[in-house]
Amino acid sequence: MTCLGKFCALLLILTTSSAVAAQDQTQAQWQRMFELGLKHRTASDLYTALKSDAHGGQQSPPFAQLPDWSGLWLASGGSSFFDRGPGGVSPKLSPAAADAVKKGRELEAAGITYDENLSDCGPPGFPRWLIIPFLREFIVRPEQTWLSSETVNNVRRIYTDGRGHPPPEDRYPLYYGDSLGFWDGQKLVIHTNQLMKRSMGRNQPEQSEQMETVEIWEKIDRRTIEAKVWIYDPAVYLEPWYLTRRYMQVDNPDKSLRMNYWHCSENPNNQVYKTPEGGTQYRDFTFTNKENR
Amino acid sequence: MNRIRFGILLWVVLLVAVALVAEAHHASVMFDSTKEITLEGTVKEFQYTNPHSWLLVDVTNKDGSVTTWGFEAEGPSTLMQRKIRPSDFPFGTKVTITGNPMKDGRPGAAWVKAVRGDGKVFYPRGQASQQSQ
Repeated sequence: MTCLGKFCALLLILTTSSAVAAQDQTQAQWQRMFELGLKHRTASDLYTALKSDAHGGQQSPPFAQLPDWSGLWLASGGSSFFDRGPGGVSPKLSPAAADAVKKGRELEAAGITYDENLSDCGPPGFPRWLIIPFLREFIVRPEQTWLSSETVNNVRRIYTDGRGHPPPEDRYPLYYGDSLGFWDGQKLVIHTNQLMKRSMGRNQPEQSEQMETVEIWEKIDRRTIEAKVWIYDPAVYLEPWYLTRRYMQVDNPDKSLRMNYWHCSENPNNQVYKTPEGGTQYRDFTFTNKENR
Repeated sequence: MNRIRFGILLWVVLLVAVALVAEAHHASVMFDSTKEITLEGTVKEFQYTNPHSWLLVDVTNKDGSVTTWGFEAEGPSTLMQRKIRPSDFPFGTKVTITGNPMKDGRPGAAWVKAVRGDGKVFYPRGQASQQSQ
């Protein structure tokens, strides 16, 4: 083996060893967070426990104490709603959700896909919001934080001014739910309820109105924000599921990149319909003649 | 050695996972991702729109007739990140363009690559997407 070859082999070993060590740490952390969810019967219980651990947390902290989440961000990976977590643990799904996942995978394999939420620019809703692509902006203020996404122009408002959720008798289903939170140092802890029954994604199970979530958002390095997420929904999960999602800051040195409004009717060439088989197809294009339509 | 293999596998899985994140506003099942077509023509219009953009290219057929082809890409924010701006494809620009054609035979394709008349190359889905074809 040449010197260059030995150097490359050493570099590969060092890189992969550190990657494996980091992965071991990630798995252990994932397992701890997953088990934290299991200790609490409801999302509300978990949120209350986190608030207690944070000595009540902070409501409407001064601007100077808030983290800098400015810039534009993109989803950059993490775990999923239905696949195994980093520790090899799979979500325990209800029979209905397990059937829906199986059927969804068969449809995907057959190339039969239609997006009930997004194809007509309907809202992705929450928690699907966590995984959708395209630009995001996070606007942090003392009394509320806006977590916005370019995809169909949505904004999640997280109230951190100490207000509570509406009383149970006045709650009604919302695409993004009702979210409130507190600050634990540089971490934003969020509880969300009042979610709507709808598909969690293409060819994926339906969440129920019983779904509630807890999130912890934190900037973990200069270019990365991580969200730890616990999902409670007995219609989908037999026990709470835990996942992490990461968001990477986008390079935008000349500030030319911006978030803009979406509308599916802006360009008629983007209009699609659901085929009788359940797939997706474009409607007539403006650029073709009758013979080509 | 098993740890090394596992590490390499891990990175491959992570890369695939990141690629899968990029789902558009609708499914792309109307395009045949196993096929590519490459056509030469001139730009008729660059529809720089959300949630998808379309580069319309007039292609002269063997019999002398002209067919307008539409090449679909993501919306402006994605194209901006790929260094593709509205001014890059004015009317009449000569272009050699590659895409995954529509399964139903209409003159449309998922835009993968374009080589402008001056030799500049554009990858609206990222260069990795082109290399994986």
